[in-house]
Amino acid sequence: MGVYLRWKQPSWMVDSIRMRMTSHLPWLLSALTLLHLTVQAHSLKRGTIQDLKCTTKNMLVWDCTWTPPVGVSPATVKEVCIKDRLHSCHRLESTNIKIAALSPGDHEVTINYLNGFQSKFTLNEKDVSLIPDTPASLSLSADLSSSTLHLRWNDKGSAFPYPSNATWEIKVLQNPSMEPVKLVSFNTTLNGQDTVHHWDWASELPLQCATYSVGIRWYIDYHRFSGYKVWSDWSLLKNISWTPNSETNVFPQDKVILAGSDITFCCISQTKVLSGQIGKTFCPLIHLYGENVAIRIQNISVSENSGTNVVFTTEDNVYGTVVFAGYPPDVPQKLNCETHDFKEVICSWNPGRPTGLVGPRNTDYTLSESISGKSVTFKRFETLTNESYRLAFQMLPGQEIHNFTLTGRNPLGHAESAVFINITERVAPHVPVSLRVKDINSTVVSLAWHLPGNFAKINLLCEIEICKASSEQEVRNATVKGAQESSYLVAVDKLTPYTLYTFRVRCSTETFWKWSKWSNEKRHLTTEAIPSRGPDTWREWSSDGKNLIIYWKPLPINEANGKILSYNISCTSNEETQSLSEILDPQHKAEIQLERNDYIISVVAKNSAGSSPPSKIASTEIPNDDIIVEQAVGMGKSIFLSWHADPNMTCDYVIKWCNSSHSEPCLMDWIKVPSNSTETIIESDQFQPGVRYNFYLYGCTNQGYQLLRSIIGYIEELAPIVAPNFTVEDTSADSILVKWEDIPVEELRGFLRGYLFYFQKGERDTPKTRTFETGHSDIKLKNITDISQKTLRIADLQGKTSYHLVLRAYTHGGLGPEKSMFVVTKENSVGLIIAILIPVAVAVVVGVVTSILCYRKREWIKETFYPDIPNPENCKALQFQKSICEGSSALKTLEMNPCTPNNVEVLESRSIVPKIEDTEIISPVAERPGESSEADPENHVVVSYCPPIIEEEIANPSADEAGGNSQVVYIDVQSMYQPQAKPEEEQGIDPGVVAGYKPQMRLPINSAAEDTAAEDEADKTAGYRPQANVNTWNLVSPDSPRSTDSNSEIVSFGSPCSINSRQFLIPPKDEDFPKSNGGGWSFTNFFQNKPND
Amino acid sequence: MQKNTSTLLQTYLQYQGSPFSDPGFAAPELQLSSLPSAAVSFKTWHAMDDAERLSRAQGAFLALTQHLQLVGDDQSDLNPGSPVLLAQLGAARLRAQGLLGNMAAIMTALGLPIPPEEDTLGLVSFGASAFERKCRGYIVTREYGHWTDRAVRDLALLKAKYPA
Repeated sequence: MGVYLRWKQPSWMVDSIRMRMTSHLPWLLSALTLLHLTVQAHSLKRGTIQDLKCTTKNMLVWDCTWTPPVGVSPATVKEVCIKDRLHSCHRLESTNIKIAALSPGDHEVTINYLNGFQSKFTLNEKDVSLIPDTPASLSLSADLSSSTLHLRWNDKGSAFPYPSNATWEIKVLQNPSMEPVKLVSFNTTLNGQDTVHHWDWASELPLQCATYSVGIRWYIDYHRFSGYKVWSDWSLLKNISWTPNSETNVFPQDKVILAGSDITFCCISQTKVLSGQIGKTFCPLIHLYGENVAIRIQNISVSENSGTNVVFTTEDNVYGTVVFAGYPPDVPQKLNCETHDFKEVICSWNPGRPTGLVGPRNTDYTLSESISGKSVTFKRFETLTNESYRLAFQMLPGQEIHNFTLTGRNPLGHAESAVFINITERVAPHVPVSLRVKDINSTVVSLAWHLPGNFAKINLLCEIEICKASSEQEVRNATVKGAQESSYLVAVDKLTPYTLYTFRVRCSTETFWKWSKWSNEKRHLTTEAIPSRGPDTWREWSSDGKNLIIYWKPLPINEANGKILSYNISCTSNEETQSLSEILDPQHKAEIQLERNDYIISVVAKNSAGSSPPSKIASTEIPNDDIIVEQAVGMGKSIFLSWHADPNMTCDYVIKWCNSSHSEPCLMDWIKVPSNSTETIIESDQFQPGVRYNFYLYGCTNQGYQLLRSIIGYIEELAPIVAPNFTVEDTSADSILVKWEDIPVEELRGFLRGYLFYFQKGERDTPKTRTFETGHSDIKLKNITDISQKTLRIADLQGKTSYHLVLRAYTHGGLGPEKSMFVVTKENSVGLIIAILIPVAVAVVVGVVTSILCYRKREWIKETFYPDIPNPENCKALQFQKSICEGSSALKTLEMNPCTPNNVEVLESRSIVPKIEDTEIISPVAERPGESSEADPENHVVVSYCPPIIEEEIANPSADEAGGNSQVVYIDVQSMYQPQAKPEEEQGIDPGVVAGYKPQMRLPINSAAEDTAAEDEADKTAGYRPQANVNTWNLVSPDSPRSTDSNSEIVSFGSPCSINSRQFLIPPKDEDFPKSNGGGWSFTNFFQNKPND
Repeated sequence: MQKNTSTLLQTYLQYQGSPFSDPGFAAPELQLSSLPSAAVSFKTWHAMDDAERLSRAQGAFLALTQHLQLVGDDQSDLNPGSPVLLAQLGAARLRAQGLLGNMAAIMTALGLPIPPEEDTLGLVSFGASAFERKCRGYIVTREYGHWTDRAVRDLALLKAKYPA
């Protein structure tokens, strides 16, 4: 319609323009009239003009169609005329016409009808629609395994001007919904020829699970065509359908996919599918049509070897498939090619990341060599783990340069790696085999081995490892010219004769790539050679001087050069020659009877290869008188010796040694030291600590050997194993003389450095003295460092005392065991005598002096000590008249005289009678002595007995010394009278007893003894009762100065405090003298005990 | 041999992946048309005579030997790196062949005709998918166990009937 309108309107305008052009002002009126008529005529036709529509399929022919005016039959068309064209009119009787394409621009088209009607159109290319034919030659196929549709068609480009652009649109419909699941458009170019195009589409859903239809349409864009471009019609749909077989219901089957990708599985089922799972994982079901379902797996993980199972479960069956998820092959890593033998090239590589695929899906490797064009394939089902892959490529003869490409393929893809090599630089020979050793001479052998392979064009570099038995190892290189499948021979020199060697070989090439493995070891003993020198020789004269003993040492193995079979010895002097031959090897000593001449001794060692050079030594020993025996001590297992260089010694020094306890000739071993040395360290396995050795240093001159030094030594000193045997030579009261013997050298085990002597008071059975505690203060120690001293006097000892004596020897190795002995010193008789005599003499003198003084001053003493005191008489009278003189008590108490006779004569009877009375009276007091002492001075009535006469016994000094001033009478009334009788009887026997015990009742004894000397005095004394005379006691109390002045002893003995006291005023020490009981104590005891204080 | 059959089944399933390898996996509905099922009702079995029992067992073990070979081939494809499984399958086949020989001897001794060997597999087996092969192997190893149990029962009956 639009076209039509545009076409009509311009025709009107053309008319009006033409009208304007033809009309002029003079003709304006007539023109207006004509215009009016024309418009009228046109207005008549306008109602009858219908559409003109033109299309083209190929831009060459236009197909135009129009609708005739109302009331006009299409069959009445008479002709169609196109202006500006030759044969512009086409006769026809229909309403459509095919015309050749018109040139661009407007063209007037007139259609005439039989009935005279006429229609006019303006036709332009822009109004023409280009609608290509439906695409043809369409073929559709499907690849079920990959779920891919392949579409092919022909563009029939030859029918179109070219170049033209064609735009295609393809739709894929999935049955039965017929909804497009894919709509895609793309462009091609028409090039004037018929071209077949194809389009592939991979379906997510397996193709088996649905029916697919494909349609296509297109339009053409030709730049010179200005009309409309319109899509062609859709082609007829092509269908792909799959006829399901009864067995397989799940798709895709056995698919190999990349791990991590997505995949859809579908299940065709006639019955309801209950579940779908992959491995253990259940997946939501996607319903397709009917009972068909699908599941979609995203990011699938690598399968195990047998694949991942996908299972659909229906009400009555199980359907499934297996999917293999893995990876394409990794790029082969560490691709390395080498040859062992120039026959084949071995390429090895690491496959890299595992593909996760095995069996038929495993990676196949192809090794191709581009220069020769050959290739080999590696195929195996199982995957090697931790192992490099290898492929052998057979070499072409003469080809050195190789360009290898290794390609790995599996269903998911492929990868490759390349290496470019010169094979002569990549040689790793096989292991050398058949290693053989052959003797050439004692120091040279030949080694031969076989190396499989063709090495004809290259040189081989081989290493020969030479091991001695002593694990000394040496590697030598040898270059040999390569050969084909050959053995190789190399001479090995500078070997040691008669030595066990172990050889092995490995090879490479001069252009080093890799060593072969070491060949097997081959052991070989080189042959013997003559000994390189004579044995080390020494000689000694036998002890009787008739035989010369020749010693030699076995040669070390490196100088023996073989097994020493025997030795030959010859002794040559100016006069004679003596020989000993064929002394078999284990013997290294020979004895020859010789005169005492100067001989040259020659020793030769022999092995199977021959005799050694002779080893010579002179028998002469040059005397040396200036030999001092020195001492030396070693260090651990060796001993160091040094000496002053002696220019006279021209050949060498010899040090020989032996155990000092062995008899002569003594030789343990010797060493030779070069003449320019002045020191050496002697070591020997035979050395033992604690053993004394004699070392002798000899210097060698042209005339013979001379002893230079003699040394005794220990390599290590030890403590003596025995104690010195000692005896007591003499014992006195204050000293002991000890004597000991030497310790034998074997038991000394070192140089004696001295003795230790301990002594201590002690007796044999006293545990304390059995062992010496060194820290004990009583132990006295004497260190005797003068080892020549063999006696010791120990002085300042106590007499008659047991002493424990111990003697030990010591070396630098330590103290030896101890030897002990108990000795008792003798008594000191002189001292004893002196100790007795001096006190006796002193006592006598004191006694005499005292007696004289007392005699001379008796008046004064009497005045002082025995003034006339009446009261005691009264007291006495009271006491005795109560019992004896009853009835005249009051009178007699005051009388002094009658008491005096009583005192003397009635001693015996009185001693009994008052005893009873006193007992009765005093008992209560005696029971409480503490109170009585206080009560005494006041209670005159109760204390009515006569106090004891405190007599000072000056004549008995022992009492003074032993008891001192503490010899105080203390006795109570009960015991006072009991000892009274006995001392009277024993008085003459031992006055000492009396001295220890002085009861009050001594009074009659003393008075009896001295009655002639001082009768008056005695009377007074007997009648004197100090306790009764309070005033007098006060005067002579110990506190009074008067008492002190008169006599201290008297004061002590006469102490009023001690009279009634039942307590001891003397220290208990005096009581501790057990020997003083009964028989008293002697001066001997006194001296005996004194040291104990 | 009975113990070996159960070990074989467990080993086999273990190598096939889930759900075959899941604990307690069983799919009794899966059957092979080429392999007679050992399941038989007691009544039917009891009604059989010795010849029929032996004949059926002999036929089953003939089929089993062929199927075990097939399963071995399948598994060397699916599980090439599992020598344990392959060895057990091979051993099972040899045992089945041994039992087959024993049964033939018994049948000969009883004077029964020995059925001719025939190809029970036919041509269909080669195009099987991996899943079918796994299922097939499962059925074969399962039926191998069942048939062994049944053969033990059959032979025990025979032994009781013909002592020494």
